[in-house]
Amino acid sequence: MSGLSFRIAWRFLKSSRGQTILILLGITIGVSVQIFIGSLIDGLQRSLVDNTIGRSSHITVEPAGSARYFERDDDLIIQLTADEQADKLAVSYSNSGFMVYEDETWPLLFRGFELDQADSIYRFSESLVEGDMPANSSEILLGSALAAETGIEPGDMITAVNPEGKSSELTVSGIFDLQVSSINESWAISDLIAVQELFSADNQLSSIEIQIEDVFSADTIAAGWSGLLSEEQKITNWKDQNASLLSGLSGQSASSYMIQVFVLLAVLLGISSVLAISVVQKSRQLGILKAMGIKDRAASWIFLAQGLILGTVGSIIGTGLGLLLNWSFSVFVKNPDGSSLVPFYFDPVFVFVSMFIAIIAATLAAFIPARKSSKLNPIEVIKNG
Amino acid sequence: MAELLKLSGINKVYGEKIKTQVLFDIDLAFEAGSFNAVIGESGSGKSTLMNIMGTLDRPTSGEVVINGTKTASMTKDQLAELRNQTIGFIFQFHYLLPEFTVLENVLMPALIRKGRIDDRDKKRALELIDLVGLSRVKSNLATDLSGGQQQRTAIARSLINEPKIILGDEPTGNLDSQTTESIYTLLREINQEIKSTFIIITHDQRIAEKADRILEIKDGRINLDVDKYVAKTGGNA
Ligand SMILES: Nc1ncnc2c1ncn2[C@@H]1O[C@H](COP(=O)(O)OP(=O)(O)OP(=O)(O)O)[C@@H](O)[C@H]1O
Ligand SMILES: [Mg+2]
Repeated sequence: MSGLSFRIAWRFLKSSRGQTILILLGITIGVSVQIFIGSLIDGLQRSLVDNTIGRSSHITVEPAGSARYFERDDDLIIQLTADEQADKLAVSYSNSGFMVYEDETWPLLFRGFELDQADSIYRFSESLVEGDMPANSSEILLGSALAAETGIEPGDMITAVNPEGKSSELTVSGIFDLQVSSINESWAISDLIAVQELFSADNQLSSIEIQIEDVFSADTIAAGWSGLLSEEQKITNWKDQNASLLSGLSGQSASSYMIQVFVLLAVLLGISSVLAISVVQKSRQLGILKAMGIKDRAASWIFLAQGLILGTVGSIIGTGLGLLLNWSFSVFVKNPDGSSLVPFYFDPVFVFVSMFIAIIAATLAAFIPARKSSKLNPIEVIKNG
Repeated sequence: MAELLKLSGINKVYGEKIKTQVLFDIDLAFEAGSFNAVIGESGSGKSTLMNIMGTLDRPTSGEVVINGTKTASMTKDQLAELRNQTIGFIFQFHYLLPEFTVLENVLMPALIRKGRIDDRDKKRALELIDLVGLSRVKSNLATDLSGGQQQRTAIARSLINEPKIILGDEPTGNLDSQTTESIYTLLREINQEIKSTFIIITHDQRIAEKADRILEIKDGRINLDVDKYVAKTGGNA
């Protein structure tokens, strides 16, 4: 494109200001709606996924077959921990037993963790409603439902019993609320060693639980790790267990793309028709320019350049507006607990691709008017005044 | 002297089904530096002839040779370049670009030629604007000018690329007689000064009489051709 076409395009846009503002408004609204809807759905999906699996294992190493436990293998744990794809890792030993308190017996699922590790995944310390995290192997956490039923408070002693009758005395250090009533009722969380000792299961594990950064690659990452396992272990990932959530998400994405495509299409038709009108409006000027020797290609570029300028300016303003809308939505639309319904999420790839598409599309929308202008014969204008 | 513009056997027929022949076997040649007036009744074919000379329109048959080059075989782009560099147009209805100022309008053919404007172009444009007496309004938009001022802007614009040929189709069509007089005096001065060839359509008999050569078109044919140019310059044609 020559400076000539660009200069004339710029001047045409400046001198028909009303029309220019109207097209710009169209592109701006279109792009901002597109960015808003795209980012909103993206943010919604991320928070949905985060709610679903944010505090649970993404990839789990479990005993194979009917076995309930496997031998702890430190080499495997070291390799998995060192892998860049793994974000957080926690080992666990869990088994069913009983708690005796004031002559009453309650069934419990004892879950043993290396608590510092596990806390980064399950955030037990954030879910404490009373007391503190266990400080040593003789302390234990109980759920809020069980505590309400039994009247247990932090500092109280309970007796933990395994099915064979082996028991140990433990101090309740705190009460957790993990937002799931069955867990709040039946889980007892303690140190790994303490639980292993209670069940005489030294060095046994029931799972290795791993969180990864790129949650949607859980299946491929898991497949990559399966070679590290021994015969008594198998690997599972969250995607296998959440097929309906995933199909819901992809349906949502598809409808989001549809909306975006139609918004873009509407904007394109708008630009195209306004520019087509402007070719007619400017046919006198085009005739003069052609009589003075402007070439057809340069004449076409006057309109392509208008599309390019409108597309660029419109999509920059539109993107800004769309992101502002997203931000306001995250600030002003809240859950009852005060957190954002849809947290603000800026995906630079999505935003820049959207902008780029809008600019290209606006330029292409100017293509038909541009062709029309190149066909215009100056003699028509000169003769007809 | 050199024949800058030569027409031979020009016919122009309008219409597909109902054919109207407007020009009949026109043979004409114009010499460099001459000042020519074209007169004739309304509808006689003057504008048609001028548009063909300016390569804006193509003849149905016949040949237009400009500066030694046959135009029939040239592409649209080549013709555009030829117009830009060799021909200056002054149209009856001014035809300035309303979005641009006087100075920008005058510079436009230079911008089309090179894609940009340098200081020399700008200096020349200002000189031309001064020459046509518009220095005071050079930053006005073309729409904020009187008819005569628009016409003078068009004249300055036709001269910016120093074309060898300047074609004017009733350039003073809507102007009062005094303005008409001063514009012709101006064209004549420019003609003497830069030796451009002028071919001007006019209805004004008094103006035509001041030209080197008068051509009268009647019903698409040349009815009269009075050439004083050879006698005055003493050249041998
Ligand atoms: N597109 C066309 N189709 C048919 N006839 C046409 C067309 N264009 C022009 N004519 C006819 O050609 C003839 C010459 O027209 P032209 O414009 O050359 O006249 P002119 O001498 O310039 O007249 P005026 O002094 O009124 O400007 C006229 O009779 C006109 O009706
Ligand atoms: Mg005419």
